[in-house]
Amino acid sequence: MTRIKRGYIARRRRTKIRLFASSFRGAHSRLTRTITQQKIRALVSSHRDRDKQKRNFRRLWITRINAVIRERGVSYSYSKLIHDLYKRQLVLNRKILAQIAISNRNCLYMISNEIRNEVGWKEYTGII
Amino acid sequence: MAMAVNCATSSLLLTKPSNKPSSTSLKKTPFLGFSLPAASKPSIQLNRVSKICCQEKTALVPAGQQWMFDDITGPDVWNKTWYPKAADHINTDKPWYIVDATDKILGRLASTIAIHIRGKNLATYTPSVDMGAFVIVVNAEKVAVSGKKRTQKLYRRHSGRPGGMTVETFDQLQKRIPERIIEHAVRGMLPKGRLGRSLFTHLKVYTGPDHPHEAQKPVELPIRDKRIQKQT
Repeated sequence: MTRIKRGYIARRRRTKIRLFASSFRGAHSRLTRTITQQKIRALVSSHRDRDKQKRNFRRLWITRINAVIRERGVSYSYSKLIHDLYKRQLVLNRKILAQIAISNRNCLYMISNEIRNEVGWKEYTGII
Repeated sequence: MAMAVNCATSSLLLTKPSNKPSSTSLKKTPFLGFSLPAASKPSIQLNRVSKICCQEKTALVPAGQQWMFDDITGPDVWNKTWYPKAADHINTDKPWYIVDATDKILGRLASTIAIHIRGKNLATYTPSVDMGAFVIVVNAEKVAVSGKKRTQKLYRRHSGRPGGMTVETFDQLQKRIPERIIEHAVRGMLPKGRLGRSLFTHLKVYTGPDHPHEAQKPVELPIRDKRIQKQT
């Protein structure tokens, strides 16, 4: 068999990976072997964190709603608000509630008052 | 502040229905880039509805809510969670609170302080950004603890070398450096990390009733804990 050198095959593969890691810091965007490793780690992180992102954002919304709701009354809290929402079958999700809480706090107070009064009235008159 | 702009746009959105000229033909929706086909105008003037297409599903939008799909200038409030810009957390605009620590239970006081410093009582809370307020504590040497903690609570520190652990009781530390007690308590309740360390610098503790921050016009810290005052 004649001798075959591989030529530019490896270099072509590595330039693609180098392009991916072109904005990384220090040796992570300069050294070939490190670049391959860092690309793998970056993709793994992004895969794992795409699922965590959903969890993290929900946590953030819940914390924000909780902060605003607790201002309302002495013993009113996020958990009670959510319970009232479910009782009244109001399908607003936490994302929207959090955005309402930031942009238009009075609106959220109005919603919570409506639900509280409704629930209190129903329990009082014995209607489910 | 960007916060004010946000409120302004939303209040603008809220007041829009009153003076909106509705036209249901050739609407550009925020969801699609191209215009919708003109909806057939029903003969009854009252129920003017228009069709909105989103992901191959259509919906009818009554005229009163048409403004929600009209105004597509500005950031998308409903699909992008709010994140503070630099203008939302400039240190000079943050509120300053003042607390008198006389006869307040140490842990409960520290908890309230930590909540305000971290910004967890605000709607704009963000874990990665310092949105909290500044807190001044005066009369730090008069802080109270229940039970026998005054003589039995130990404060330990280690110098790093073998045999370098120093143990002090609450009482001894209060005689030596009274500010450190409240600082130690609050530091334990703030997040540990770069942000936590910079949050800690927003706490100012002083023995005695005066403090050098009159120019910041501190407000009384609103305390919601009923058991924070020591029962005599």
